[in-house]
Amino acid sequence: MMSKFIIQVNGPAYGSSASVNALRFTQATLQSGHDVVCVFFYQDGVYNSTDFNLPASDEYDVIMGWKQLAAQHQVSLVNCVSAALRRGIVSQLEAQENGLSHWNVESSFIMGGLGELVTGIESADRLICF
Amino acid sequence: MKKICILFRSAPHGTTKGREALDLALLSASFEQEVSVVFIDEGVLHLLKDQQPELIGGKDYLATLKALPLYDIEAVFACKQSLGDYGLSHGLLSIPVTILNDEAISAHLKVVDEVLVF
Repeated sequence: MMSKFIIQVNGPAYGSSASVNALRFTQATLQSGHDVVCVFFYQDGVYNSTDFNLPASDEYDVIMGWKQLAAQHQVSLVNCVSAALRRGIVSQLEAQENGLSHWNVESSFIMGGLGELVTGIESADRLICF
Repeated sequence: MKKICILFRSAPHGTTKGREALDLALLSASFEQEVSVVFIDEGVLHLLKDQQPELIGGKDYLATLKALPLYDIEAVFACKQSLGDYGLSHGLLSIPVTILNDEAISAHLKVVDEVLVF
């Protein structure tokens, strides 16, 4: 039977296994024919959306993994915007609004609110947190 | 509408987990979800009254705990064992809580739809 999942990522791209575990789980979910409402990045999870991480060339790039997954499966990657802004995770829009000349979040990630997590939980069969 | 339980397991101030847990609890309640909060392990330290986080560069998000009833969050539980471990008697708590033993907390986690641990 097909189920609808929502995935919450609370750990950063580097320094914790949370993000890789979440990515693997999301890949397996989709490959098994289930639905993923969205992947929601909260707490330190928003660090997965920066374009400024530069892993060494022989290391796994989990941020690239999320971008490829989103492109392949049309899964939304949603940041909690207030968690992001407090951590220096900024898209072009917030950069402009705050007079910054740099930003680090490109269009693979959407800046959203906690409301999107809550409505996602409401519509999904199961929330899985990493 | 879903039954969402927010579990506070980490001490306040050292990390932002508690603050972001409380933000999510209030937001979920304002989105008409049936929200409960549980304080357990080091998380019970959120309940100690008269804390002054500003002195260590923190924000006094603990004051927001008093807003739980305004958001219709009536199910506020604390673990009896954890309160005892940290020497927190009733008179030391900042807000009214229902004190539950381990079995009652387990039973509560079984009847909600989702549990988010912070």
